[in-house]
Amino acid sequence: MSRDITFGQFYPANSFVHKMDPRAKLVLVIAYIVAVFLVKSLYSYIAIAVFLIAAVLGSRVPVKSVLKSVRGILVIVILTAILNIFFFSGGERVLFSWWKIKITVEALLFALHMALRLIFLVIGTTLLTLTTTPMNLTDGMESLMSPLKLIKVPVHDLAIIMSIALRFIPILIEEVDKIMLAQKARGADFESGGLIKRAKALLPVLIPLFISAFRRADELALALDARCYNATPKRTKYKVLKLGWRDAVGVIILAILIAAIAAVNASFWGLFGFSFGV
Amino acid sequence: MGIIELKNVSFDYESDNTLSRGVKNLSLTIEKGSFVVLLGHNGSGKSTLAKLLNGFLLPGEGDVFINGINTKEKERIFEIRTKVGLVFQNPDNQMVASIIEDDLAFGPENLGVPRDEIIKRVDWALDAVKMSEYRSGTPYKLSGGQKQRIAIAAILAMLPEILILDEATAMLDPRGRAEVMETAKRLNKENKMTVIHITHYMDEAIDADEVIVLNDGEIAIQGSPEFVFGHPEIIKEAGLELPTATKVAGLLREKGFDIPLVLRDEELAEAVCQLR
Repeated sequence: MSRDITFGQFYPANSFVHKMDPRAKLVLVIAYIVAVFLVKSLYSYIAIAVFLIAAVLGSRVPVKSVLKSVRGILVIVILTAILNIFFFSGGERVLFSWWKIKITVEALLFALHMALRLIFLVIGTTLLTLTTTPMNLTDGMESLMSPLKLIKVPVHDLAIIMSIALRFIPILIEEVDKIMLAQKARGADFESGGLIKRAKALLPVLIPLFISAFRRADELALALDARCYNATPKRTKYKVLKLGWRDAVGVIILAILIAAIAAVNASFWGLFGFSFGV
Repeated sequence: MGIIELKNVSFDYESDNTLSRGVKNLSLTIEKGSFVVLLGHNGSGKSTLAKLLNGFLLPGEGDVFINGINTKEKERIFEIRTKVGLVFQNPDNQMVASIIEDDLAFGPENLGVPRDEIIKRVDWALDAVKMSEYRSGTPYKLSGGQKQRIAIAAILAMLPEILILDEATAMLDPRGRAEVMETAKRLNKENKMTVIHITHYMDEAIDADEVIVLNDGEIAIQGSPEFVFGHPEIIKEAGLELPTATKVAGLLREKGFDIPLVLRDEELAEAVCQLR
């Protein structure tokens, strides 16, 4: 099994987007999600598409990897589009009508609107995980959540839990490989039989895995104590996140995008006399 | 007064009826800068002793002093844990971060060491275990010996005065064991670090300043390697074996050959060559 799973879907490259501060990227992604939800007119999607294309180019991540994320949700997109077409009420320009089913232009446009919204949301958030290592993401979240310390949220403990989980994923995968081999050597059969039989066959893998995981957790707890975990509330940081000019550029571009969407929302009603969708 | 003082220390595991892994009325002084090897079969109390030394376990009776600080002083426990660095058996279960330098920084971060100082310590610790080129890498592709050296470096970054290797070589292949032993010896010689190496590999005890053999929670014998391995009956009673060279020399002696007590293979070869 591949060890690369540690890095999630991280695509290593030395690009503009990769070099951005994870905190800035997190905030920008949240702002981007808001921007996508602000869209009221299909024209605004052109602005979002331009922004996304620029971001993908600036990340040097192959377009194929980005589109892979869309493939994962394609079924949901199509399903919601179909449901929207049939269940949209209030359309006036009827294209097709039979018995109780009525399809209107408005319904088609609304379905398109929703599909685009989903696709753009997924591409944008995927770009974050493609360009940021889980470790950086954890650091960024810890830093962003640090105000919560004031209301006694154990932000640092949560961050440590996350990074330990990430650290042990490949170790446990290796362990599963080993246990499966050991059980196969004892005649276990994981490949044949129906679903229930196969699930049952996994039991002799899961039990040793859990036992070993608990033993590891026990040792890790000792190791954490040996390294003075929680020795002082004034913990220092070795890796300091630094905001740079790239983050400023990102913020400015996204601000322009949001402004453009807001302007389109406000003015196109008047200019063209109608609006699409919601 | 030594850097480590144990005075009539006893410790019992309450729930353990089958095997008494505790220690009984143990008194011990370890001098600063010495290289001590602690031998004993499974359940002889080796690991209990290690855990008593950094305050993981507190003695039921008696006292443990590290640099004059009693481990029972709760408010100074982190001071003790900083002074006494403990490296465990499985290197995988000791690493917290997925990047080596982050893992090394974890200890000093917990202690609130200023960032500039952490950078210096990480540099130094990586250099001390000769792993500087792996700094920004991940531990996944390293060998067992390399991982264990990183685990040692992670402890070194807290600038301990005493390094305890609690069966740190037990899971390693011969090459990894050699790497770890070489690192421990170098730290002892060059950095004047007090090293306590807990093991059941006899060969690793040969170069020690002092060897302590534990049996059922008590010291069976203690002294220089020559002295300890000169008492094969006690070693045997403690459930251990002599180093190979010593054993072969002893068997030859039984057969009437005139061979002195040797510890190393080379010494044995030398002695055999001089036979007439």
